[in-house]
Amino acid sequence: MATDPEPFTLPEDVSAQPVPIPPLERSRHVAHCNRCLAGLPASLTDIDSSRMVLAFYCLGVMDVYSALDMKLSASDREAWRGWIWAQQAGGEHGTGFRPGPFMTRVRQPGYTDASAPHLIMTYCALLSLAILRDDFRRLDRAGLVRFVRACQDTNGGFTTTPGADDADLRMCYCAFVVCSFLNDWSGMDVTRAVDYIRRCRTYEGGYGQSPGAEALGGTTYCAIAALYLLPQDTAPAGRLTRAEHRQTVRWLVHTQDGATGGFAGRTNKVPDACYCFWQGAALAIMGEKERIDAVALTRFFARCQHRFGGIAKAQDEAADPYHTYLASAMIAIAQGAGTWALGPLDPLVNATEETAAWARERVPARPVLA
Amino acid sequence: MHGVRRSRESREAREARRQREQEELNTYLSLQEDILSRKKDKDWSKDAFDLTTRMLNKNPEFYTVWNYRRLILLNNIFRNSSPHEKIDILANELVMTISALKVHPKVYWIWNHRRWCLENIPEGGDDDDMQGWRKTCWKRELYLVEQMLDADPRNFHAWDYRRYVLSSMPIQRPETAELAYTTKKIESDFSNFSAWHQRTKVLPRLWESGKLDKAQSLQQEFVLVQNAMWADPDDQSVWLYHRWLIGSGDDYDSLTREIKGIHELLEEQPDSKCMFSPILATLNLTNACVSGCMETLVHYKRLLIRSHTSRLGPEGTQILREECLGLLKQLEELDPLRRQRYRDLGALRRRHCQ
Repeated sequence: MATDPEPFTLPEDVSAQPVPIPPLERSRHVAHCNRCLAGLPASLTDIDSSRMVLAFYCLGVMDVYSALDMKLSASDREAWRGWIWAQQAGGEHGTGFRPGPFMTRVRQPGYTDASAPHLIMTYCALLSLAILRDDFRRLDRAGLVRFVRACQDTNGGFTTTPGADDADLRMCYCAFVVCSFLNDWSGMDVTRAVDYIRRCRTYEGGYGQSPGAEALGGTTYCAIAALYLLPQDTAPAGRLTRAEHRQTVRWLVHTQDGATGGFAGRTNKVPDACYCFWQGAALAIMGEKERIDAVALTRFFARCQHRFGGIAKAQDEAADPYHTYLASAMIAIAQGAGTWALGPLDPLVNATEETAAWARERVPARPVLA
Repeated sequence: MHGVRRSRESREAREARRQREQEELNTYLSLQEDILSRKKDKDWSKDAFDLTTRMLNKNPEFYTVWNYRRLILLNNIFRNSSPHEKIDILANELVMTISALKVHPKVYWIWNHRRWCLENIPEGGDDDDMQGWRKTCWKRELYLVEQMLDADPRNFHAWDYRRYVLSSMPIQRPETAELAYTTKKIESDFSNFSAWHQRTKVLPRLWESGKLDKAQSLQQEFVLVQNAMWADPDDQSVWLYHRWLIGSGDDYDSLTREIKGIHELLEEQPDSKCMFSPILATLNLTNACVSGCMETLVHYKRLLIRSHTSRLGPEGTQILREECLGLLKQLEELDPLRRQRYRDLGALRRRHCQ
């Protein structure tokens, strides 16, 4: 199979050798995720409690490669939309989406502690529905606002389910996306949420999972995306100062590994394809995408491709939908050439620009005519 | 599935397996149904408690059942127990979570239950010490965390848990002890960034409380960092920690001394009496080390310019700016991955120089 020309040649780049980059094996990655959508081996039973997340990664890959129409028939897409809506549950703490039907008893309205909606699953559900071009007529918007409120902890962070005490930055990000899509921030005490995010910032310039912890790539993305999702007039105190901006860019840029071109999740760790998204997307959000060595990054991704399809965390590892999706999302952000040229992706909400636009148009409540 | 041989199972064997699985499934589902309906009916009996044990042994992620278990303990079992009995029950709970954690080390709800048990240890002790039981249990917990950190020194959940345990102990351990712990971890592996990170939490508290003289302590820290550079000059942790020590660069003397030291390291003057001499003699400076030095120098020179321009005077400031530009140009070659960033920093500076 013919290899692609270099996606980038920087001016004055006399040191670059013209070694061609292998192609991006799009159809194989789509096939890998399509297989995972259909079923997974018994060894991965644990994932049942995160089925909604898995669905999002698989559908997301198809969306990024514009393969949805090809791979999922209209009736498949209808079935998937139906399954996702079946996980929407309303109760005393508002309405959200569950991870899946596990732990639910006989079909009954509402939910118990055991089957409460989950903030991360809610984020994944909304994005998945947008990918499937749902009209969101069935969305309980008022309930969703109440659910976000119920998940905000006294420390300003957000928990996975109402009343849990597992608050960290990941759920913070999900709450911000939900409010942003709804175009309704009334379910959140924004001041306290922004304060929580700031307390997770470390002297390194990144953000830890919770206050006091060392900076991690994933949670740095969550913090930056959340702060940039806030409407400018809502909380001017949310944005980084110039010094903070520089410091964060420095930390992000230095997590790219010179030897492999991939990004490592934190200081002195090995590069991993998913961190290429977390840190790469954070840089893109901050308007600093050009700081990334895109050629080195592309070579890293090329080596992470598994010969049976899918993208793994590193060379010679097994592929999975999580790494396949995040790597593909970053490839889309990087805007390469040839097989590496994918449609544009919105790094703030982590969906293709088309899907993000669809969500922004249809998730908010219809404006009430005065 | 890749690499897994399809086993030749006879139809009978397959059917038998399916039957067994179906039975297991039915047992599990009826157990779940039983527990959830008892919880709804506020059944706080010992029978219900034993059912939760059975369920949690099968599925420790079922957080509702952990909740139910705690409610039974609070509403019934604890109410009818003496403090001695209560401590035994809690000790048993802790043992149960240890067995669960051996199989499922990352399940949040198990750790959560452990925390609840520790926080509910009653006053009392085997001698007259009213904090006796609490001291013992929390001390044991600290030991547990240390075992985890020995197994995986970068496990940030464990470090987080360690911070929680230290802050919860009835008799607070002196901060100097924690400083010594981080020293131990760093000396066993200089690239243990999590340990350096913990140091950045402990030292400010020691300085603030006056237990350590800040100026002296900083000097010692600089020496420690230099030792680390000697052992592993490519290590990012070391450069980050060094930056933290320098901070905003308000201390002119430290800043200029460190800048000089790094310059000498780069210029490789093994005969100089500088603090880095032992390092220079044995070091084989890699590109990564050199670019680490240079990038740090640019940052520190900028700090000098920003905080001490009156002391430097316009000429001194201009010289520093030009030095930064020179370093940035070299960095574009040495660290091509980040050349775009160095170019931008250079452009910014050129504008300042004009």
